[in-house]
This record gives sequence, structure tokens and C-alpha cells, in this order.
Amino acid sequence: MTNRLPFRFFINHPKVIVLEWDGEPDDTMLQQLIEFKKRIIKEFDEVIQITQGYLSLMLFHKINVQYIEDYKNRLYFLYSLQSRPTIKKVKVWQIPVCYEETYAPDLKSLASKLNLNTTALIKKHVSARYQVYFIGFLPGFLYLNGLAKELECSRKEQPLTNVPQGSVAIGGKQTGIYPMDSPGGWHIIGKTPYPFFEPKNKKPCFAQIGDSVQFTSISKSEFLQLEMQSLQGTLKISHL
Amino acid sequence: MIEVLHPGIQSSIQDLGRLGHQSLGVPIGGAMDQNAFNLSNRILNNPSHSAVLEMGFKGPKLLFHQSTTVALTGADMGAKLNGQKISNFNPIEIKEKDLLEFGNAHYGKRTYMAVAGGIQTPEILNSRSQYKGITSEPKLSKTKLIPFNIVKFEPAKGVRISPRINESKQVVILAYKGPDFDLLSGNAKNKLCQNTFSISNKNSRMAYILEEKLVPRISSIWTSPVLPGTVQCTPNGTLIILMRDAQTTGGYPRILQVTDEGLNILAQKSTKECFQFQLSSV
Repeated sequence: MTNRLPFRFFINHPKVIVLEWDGEPDDTMLQQLIEFKKRIIKEFDEVIQITQGYLSLMLFHKINVQYIEDYKNRLYFLYSLQSRPTIKKVKVWQIPVCYEETYAPDLKSLASKLNLNTTALIKKHVSARYQVYFIGFLPGFLYLNGLAKELECSRKEQPLTNVPQGSVAIGGKQTGIYPMDSPGGWHIIGKTPYPFFEPKNKKPCFAQIGDSVQFTSISKSEFLQLEMQSLQGTLKISHL
Repeated sequence: MIEVLHPGIQSSIQDLGRLGHQSLGVPIGGAMDQNAFNLSNRILNNPSHSAVLEMGFKGPKLLFHQSTTVALTGADMGAKLNGQKISNFNPIEIKEKDLLEFGNAHYGKRTYMAVAGGIQTPEILNSRSQYKGITSEPKLSKTKLIPFNIVKFEPAKGVRISPRINESKQVVILAYKGPDFDLLSGNAKNKLCQNTFSISNKNSRMAYILEEKLVPRISSIWTSPVLPGTVQCTPNGTLIILMRDAQTTGGYPRILQVTDEGLNILAQKSTKECFQFQLSSV
């Protein structure tokens, strides 16, 4: 270990500690955060949950954190024990998306902004694998990394007051799925019949941090069929 | 059951929220003023996490289908039971077919009504707090029935309940430095701690946007976790205080973290009300 501390330690609130790393988020960083998170949960009984950002972890505690210096040293020690993250086999969720006009109000305008035709845009969107970096913004909203450079586009000037649940959209350097009806400023290019947040399920969101997501293009009739299955609760969500 | 004849302006069922599900993007939620929340349950000797009715700005009109005992805390909404004025901070006996009406909030903005034994709407992700997309209704709506158990009210022995001093007049909000406090210039830090700020009309259970801006051009950060009480500074200098229904992550620099007590005080304030931040150490 070098003299430089590997992460910043910040007391945000008597019960909340923030750890932050420098640099750029990438897959190695993501694996490190996931590994470290697991170890903290295992070794620190006082931590009740950990939330995650691109380069940060937030540790929530049952009671006010005591003996800060000692606590900090235990954390740095635990981190120093960390083995190099191995690239594990991850789940790749196959997410069907209907890119037809009914469900894709911004597809044409976005394509022309990006100097692409709609077919090329869709092809680029379905050909990438996106990593789930963390979940935030809304219950079940996945922060996905891996959008092709050619598809990056600044957000709309005027956000929509209601983007329908299931909408698949592009905003800035990101692509995402709206897990519920919500306001939003991203360009809507399609819709998935899959539910991304079901509060009454034991696992409300099927995807987890570290998993991957791949979109597949489906027709409107396939969409309607899957939507029906989703409503009836017979939908099977599959991964590679 | 309590029948909602009129829902009021911003009424919702709240307990202490959903701590533990934030990694799925679920807001913590829960009562905005947790002092008033706790007190309402203590008056009725309820378990401390019992769900109560939170009422903002102007209260509802409620018809009770069974007898029970309730307690009101927080702002004074001039509550009337069958037309007779009743006061906050006492157990109040309710009979079948009683009508309880609330008016506009005075001395604060939010009133809490605990019911003996607690409100019994379904628990979702360990909480009854209403939130869009999690509970079937995002807030109280007309003709809804609020379920409760018929339990006999037993006052706690040896517990004296004294109404709290009126916190709505407090104008100092204590806050810790946020993780991005040092992205601010010295000048901006001074302004933040010395200037008076006021709440704009964009205020909700999710966030309060402040009227006065801080100096712009703060550098951006990678999206990071946030929590209720986090004060964000946008690129144009707008300050946003995240309240109980805050999202779980955010991309704006986190310059302050309001204390729990500060959040309770802010919960009783609204549009145009002024306050100052004062730095506190953890």
C-alpha cells in the first residue's frame, strides 16, 4: 500500500459515513466497491445498510458511530486485505424493448440529432451490454454504464411531466428504464413490458448491482403479449 | 375505520419510514416532523413506530366509524370534534359517527394525529408510509377508509407529556459540513453560514428549493448517495434541501447535511419563511 489513502473517509451525519474514491468509474472500480461492501457488511455489525454511487459508498449505522479514529483504521485495514477483484460471471438480463413509434415518441428526433437513421440507432442500442452500476433516482431505476459514444445526447430542454412506466430512454451519457410513471428529461426511444420495481415481491427488483443488461428489439404484438403476461403475473424474466 | 370525507391539502399516512431498502432506490420517507410524530404516539402509549396521519397546511375532514382515542401534535389546525374545538397534546376520546374537522395550520405547517394502537394500512417494505409507486395510494384521498384496531387506550404510568415549545419560530438550522463542502469558495462558505435563506414555493415532502442562490460555478460530482437533510448546490447556485421523501442518489454537490433536529424544524416551515444555517460538528 502506498502512503496515499485509498479512499476519503467522511462523517456525514452521526449515523452515516461516506467513503469516496478518486478517478473514473469503470468495471474494476465497480467490482472493488461490490467486494468491499460485502466485507463491511460481514465484519461491521453496526452497519445496517450500504448505498452506492459511481465512486462512493454510504454506510448507515444503527447508532451514532463511536471511536471514529478506531473505526476508520478498521475500515482501512479491511480494505488493505482486499484481494484483487476477480472478474466473475455475471447475470446478463435480456430486456425486450419495442422501438415502434407508439412507444418511442422521441426516436425520430433523437436519430436526426445524432445523424443516424432509426434502424442504426436501434442497432447500436441493442448491440451493447450495460452494467448495473447502482440503483437510485427512483425505486428500481438502474444506473447503466456502456452507452455507445454515438448515442450520447444532451437531455431535453423541457422535461416531460409524465414519462410512462417501462419507457426506455437516453439522456447524456446514460440509458435507462423508467420503473414507474415519473417526470423525466431523457429522450424516449422505446418501451419494455418488464416490471423493474414490484414493491410487494420479496425481491422488488430482479436486477442487482453488478449484473448486466442487454436490450432485444420486439414487435408491438410481442410487446402486447408480454405485457399481458406481466399483468397476469406469468411473466418469466430470463438471463444468460 | 376512519372515512375520509375530504383529504385536506397534503395528508398522508406516515411512520418512521423504510430504512434498509435504499440500495434499491427506495426513499427512506417517514414523518416530516419526527418530534411531533413521536409525541403523538407517546401520548397514546403506542409502540414508537406506529403509523399516524400527517396533515400539511390544511387538514382533512374525517368521519369515525368506530370509537377510539386519538392525539394531535405539531401545528394547530383548529381541530373541531362535532363542531367543538379540541386541543393538541391530549388523548381525545372519539365515539362512533364522530366528525373530526381540521382547518388551516397555525404555529407550524404539519399536524400529526395518532390513533390508539396505530393506523393499520398494509405494511410494504417494512413501513406504512405512503409513497408513489410503493403503497397503492401516494397520499390520502377522498372516500378512502383508514383502518385501525379497536384497542382500549391505556395511559402510560408515570409518563408526563408536556407540549414542546413552539419550534415553528426557530430560525437557526444546524447543519454538518457535507462531503462536498470544500468545493465551495471561501466567499461562498461565508455566505452560506451568514446569509438568511427563505423557502421558495417549490417545497414538498421530497425537497425544499430555496429562494436565494449561492454563487454559481461549483464543480460537478459523480452521482453519489444522498439522504434526508442533504443540501445540494446546483450549477447555477440554487440550493435544494432534501426532505424525508428524498431520492437515494444525486448528482449535485452535497454541501451541507442538516441535523435530524433541523429537519424537524424545517418540516414546520413553508413558502417565504426564513432561516439561517449554522455549522455544527458531528
